[in-house]
Amino acid sequence: MKLSRVSAYFVLHAKSYMRSRSALFFQIAFPIILILLFGAIFSGSSYSPTSLVIQNESPSAASWGVIGAINDSGLFKVQILPESQNLSQYIDAHSVQAALLVPANFTENLYGGGTGVLVLKGHTNPTVASADYETLNGILTQINFKVSNTSQRLVLSSQVALGNTGKTIDYYVPGLIGFTVLSTMFNMVYTVPNYRRERLFRQLSFSGLTKSEWITANMMFSFLMLVVSDIILVVIGIYAFGASLTLNVETILVSAVIIFGGLFFFTSVGILAGLVSDNEETVSVVGNLVMFPMMFLSGVFFPLSFAPAYLVTISKFLPLTYFINSLISVLDYGNISSVSIQIVYLLIGSAIIFAIAVRLFSWKQK
Amino acid sequence: MPEKVISVNELVKSYSDITAVNGISFSINKGEVFSLLGPNGAGKTTTVEILEGVRNRTSGDVAVLGEDPEMSKTLIFKLGILPQDFSFIYNSTPREALNFYKGTLKASGDVGEILEMVELTDKATTPFQKLSGGQKQKLGLALSLVNDPEILFLDEPTSGLDPRARRNIWSVIKTLKGRGKSILLTTHYLEEAELLADRVAIMNKGKIVDSGTPMEIVERHHEEDNLIIRGDGQVESLMAAGGYKFQREGAYIKVGLKSIREATEIINYLYERKANFEDFTLKRESLEDVFVRMVGEIGEEDEAE
Repeated sequence: MKLSRVSAYFVLHAKSYMRSRSALFFQIAFPIILILLFGAIFSGSSYSPTSLVIQNESPSAASWGVIGAINDSGLFKVQILPESQNLSQYIDAHSVQAALLVPANFTENLYGGGTGVLVLKGHTNPTVASADYETLNGILTQINFKVSNTSQRLVLSSQVALGNTGKTIDYYVPGLIGFTVLSTMFNMVYTVPNYRRERLFRQLSFSGLTKSEWITANMMFSFLMLVVSDIILVVIGIYAFGASLTLNVETILVSAVIIFGGLFFFTSVGILAGLVSDNEETVSVVGNLVMFPMMFLSGVFFPLSFAPAYLVTISKFLPLTYFINSLISVLDYGNISSVSIQIVYLLIGSAIIFAIAVRLFSWKQK
Repeated sequence: MPEKVISVNELVKSYSDITAVNGISFSINKGEVFSLLGPNGAGKTTTVEILEGVRNRTSGDVAVLGEDPEMSKTLIFKLGILPQDFSFIYNSTPREALNFYKGTLKASGDVGEILEMVELTDKATTPFQKLSGGQKQKLGLALSLVNDPEILFLDEPTSGLDPRARRNIWSVIKTLKGRGKSILLTTHYLEEAELLADRVAIMNKGKIVDSGTPMEIVERHHEEDNLIIRGDGQVESLMAAGGYKFQREGAYIKVGLKSIREATEIINYLYERKANFEDFTLKRESLEDVFVRMVGEIGEEDEAE
């Protein structure tokens, strides 16, 4: 491998790349849009109360007391629906996500020594319904303690936090850095069949450039672009959304090694995927087939703790999972020692995949 | 004995269902322009790509500047290649492309001079995708010249170009020929081969059906020359009276000649009898006429078989 040839192609590729608006959009602007989007959605720790329609069919001091407590919690934006209206019809007509019915027998059961049952209704997804149920149940538990004049003996103090401040953006910054690295694979999935179709590899071979030199120059340029886009992501994360990352010389250098390892790996996977794509249709299918499962199952956009067990098992076979976990450990917790083995595995795995890709990737005409 | 820069002996390239190149042999001397002619699918480009080292052969011996192109890693630095359907990175400019080649081939050629030679100076900073077909082809030719190569492979260099662009590329090839470069030229255009090539080989269905100088091939395969006379019925009558066989084709009378000398005899005969002929031309068979007949005959023979 000759560095002079690598640098000659690096310069040619860089100048050509800078003229491509779509390439610049996906490399720089798209990650920025994503972090602005995720940052805006999950910025800070401010909680946006959920709307809750309440219909009280059993007006009494007790029922209004419960409704008042729910309202005072600040966790719900309460809207009282008059008794005269049909709650089920109202839910259907207004696509209400969460509604609470205080049934007509509520007060009678309560004062009669029985249980006052409240009914949660609405059209929503299971995750939101479960969260609303748990929140309301917590408020009712507190009321139960007060009514029975007992104190809560077991208390769970929540100090679960990512990074230092526990903001969701702390989780998304490393995730989006992972996304930018993953997208370099997509570049290769498209570039390899396109260059083969246009016979550009043949043309490049006439310049004396070898396939290893071409891959190396591409990776060097991608790494440079990743550094630029990831610095922008970190700066926006910190200064626009208050992300708290552990940034020092050590974590920055280790993050760079992880990013390089990831780039090394995903570029090689991209070349292999590009080799099986021989027309534009299969390029798109192969690209999406490889990229999207990895993107969603490796924790780039949401923590896998939300996912069912079988998906968590699948995620353990995806290299991006370890890559993201390593970045989170280093950037959020400054925890280098615990990921060092993962980084070594990542680099070894990358070297093996790279060797396979170079071996199978032929510039010769068939 | 001239120095051979390319030697091909019993070259075969087979795929699972077809034999693209079927046992061809030829050689190219130093400083010679050698042209491979043939219809589409004759095996010209496959042969050239094997010589360039971008395609492996099935069997046979090939030597380019004494090296096997399939094995050599250094040969590419001594060759200049303009492939068929030349393409380059869409957003790169001619100047960037030439600088890239200069860097990778460690060439000392002057990029500005090469651009000027192929008349691309004013398009030096235009992205490849915005160049016209002729300009793209000129860039391909320019790239093949960066390393001042010992051998040039020009595969259909003027295909699809307008007459002006074609003449410009011919002019560059003539200049290179004048500088003593060895050139392997494949082309569809017979007049191009006739104009530029010292020797040609006609390929059809993977085989070389004849080779030699264009003149030799025409001499070997031409059927008859014709004298074309523009004249009226009086001329026709005189020709019949003189015992000459002829055909009327519109305003012209076409006479098949046994020899070129016979043309002089006919014109003298008509002149002495004060025939009303307006003008005449001698139509000799060109390489193209011979080529079309050869390739057509071979095709017909195959069909008959």
